[in-house]
Amino acid sequence: MPSAAALFIRMMKLSNSSRQVGLKLKKFIFWMLFPTFAIIVVLTYYPTIQGAILAFKDYSVFNFQNIHFVGFTNFKSIFEDPGFAIAAWNTIWWIAFSVTLQFILGFALALLMRKPFKGRGLYAGIVFYPWALSGFAIGILWSWLLNGQFGLINDILIKMHIVSHGINFLANPEYAFISVIAVNVWYGIPFFAIMILAALQSIPNSLYESAEIDGAGFIMKFFHITIPYIKPTLVSTVLLRIIWVMNFPDIIYGMTRGGPAGMTNILATYMINIVYFESDYSKASAVGLIIISALSLYTLFYLKLTSSYEMGEL
Amino acid sequence: MKKRHALAKSLRFFFLSLYLLAAVVPLFWIFITSVKPSTEVYTYPLIYWPKHFTFASYKFLFTFANFSQYFKNSLFVSIISSLIAMLFATLSGYIMARYKFRLKKTLIVFLFFAQMIPAYLIMIPQYKMFLNFGLIDNLWGLVIVYVNIAVSFSTIMARGFFSRIPRSLEEAALMDGCSRVGAIFKITIPLSLPGLAAIFSFSFVNTWNELFTAALFLSSKSKMTVPVALYSFISKSGIQWNVMSAGLIVALLPTIVVFAVAQKYIVAGLTQGAVKG
Repeated sequence: MPSAAALFIRMMKLSNSSRQVGLKLKKFIFWMLFPTFAIIVVLTYYPTIQGAILAFKDYSVFNFQNIHFVGFTNFKSIFEDPGFAIAAWNTIWWIAFSVTLQFILGFALALLMRKPFKGRGLYAGIVFYPWALSGFAIGILWSWLLNGQFGLINDILIKMHIVSHGINFLANPEYAFISVIAVNVWYGIPFFAIMILAALQSIPNSLYESAEIDGAGFIMKFFHITIPYIKPTLVSTVLLRIIWVMNFPDIIYGMTRGGPAGMTNILATYMINIVYFESDYSKASAVGLIIISALSLYTLFYLKLTSSYEMGEL
Repeated sequence: MKKRHALAKSLRFFFLSLYLLAAVVPLFWIFITSVKPSTEVYTYPLIYWPKHFTFASYKFLFTFANFSQYFKNSLFVSIISSLIAMLFATLSGYIMARYKFRLKKTLIVFLFFAQMIPAYLIMIPQYKMFLNFGLIDNLWGLVIVYVNIAVSFSTIMARGFFSRIPRSLEEAALMDGCSRVGAIFKITIPLSLPGLAAIFSFSFVNTWNELFTAALFLSSKSKMTVPVALYSFISKSGIQWNVMSAGLIVALLPTIVVFAVAQKYIVAGLTQGAVKG
């Protein structure tokens, strides 16, 4: 480590300080940063590279000792598995529907909450709470609400005469996939509402007032003041949320664990199932490498799209 | 005009109530299920209000199902790792907020990417690495992994909080003969306590909820955290839903409490240039 420290210290270039003070200050800066970046390098970046290498090896519970390169064998077995294609397609639908609906419903909630009303603080505390909860526990919770025989949702639907007898939501592949997305939407509304509400509250009221003097109605104000003003927040929130939702297996895991028969898998749950049930760690790593590649491509796209916003304030 | 205004107002009230119901009912239903005797859980038509309130499920959970142990494990892992991450993030976040140096931008991008790599993607190499150090099936091993999960985002948040504290305050302390580190601990940290509370709460919630790494790393029953225990419940068929519901309430309660206490700060941290969902 000392050589890395020396290199880092030499590479840091401090503005306006004499050399003597400079070296002391550089050492200070280095050691303050050290714990954080050491742990990130060792436990995030190094494993990421290791995972990419493991994808081309043979490593499983049944083979802990003789780990060796096997070329593209892992990828071959993935691409031959029809479950992989299902998971890949599902990932796209999962992201598209979840993020779109979370965004629309979260935006609507933020708009409803923009003007103060009595008890708004308490209201926010209650409607925002799902955001902090464990996605996995939420998944289990909803699987009980959606239970085909004793579930609350079915009971409400029957009482409203929408269905005549209980639907076994999580046993039917189509209903199951709609259900996990619906729950994910429920879970994600607060996040968008929080972010958009904060942005809405940064819009100066004077803008609306002068528009009202000019006779602008709700729709005019919405499209000519609200949207343009908070557009940067909207764009960056949605783009980052896409990454997050893609890597959010928790709800599906609580509700269906990818079932029935892998029909509600997304790539994330597909990979985790390989780890837990096949214990084939290198095959799972190969799926991981595919996910990381997709993630990197998307991130490049994201950075290009947002390069107009300053990079320093990520 | 007045009539239209009244209509808009009641529409707004209607939709706000709808969101409220959607948020509250699921949790409420789980609570109701958890205080029912099992005879009232599996009946049709559904019983909306328990005829016999009972905490038998909780009792079962904490005695037979050993939940007090899992709860303790979870508290230990989450609190220790969040504290360590907060300490690290305070040091590095402070530097990132106060000093200009050439590699800073690179380091910020570095942090940004680190917090985008999800835990489940790197758990296998971590598992392989920890196996060599005897840190598998070891709560301290999990603490180390969780510090890593929490530290990059905590640093980003800490940097934001520190950059809003005027530098002149520290300089005054330095002039009065305070050391550099002394000035940080005597001036900056007390002023950023709300920020630190937010960082801690954020890490606590994230680590408390973590399932996938924990389920891979922990194999003995006595070491399980609460999410792993829930996972073992759903893997076994035949678990009673009133007991399961009690388990969910126990799993959710700490984060609800943390959120209720620190919501103001968490939301501030979340919206001020932070990106984690």
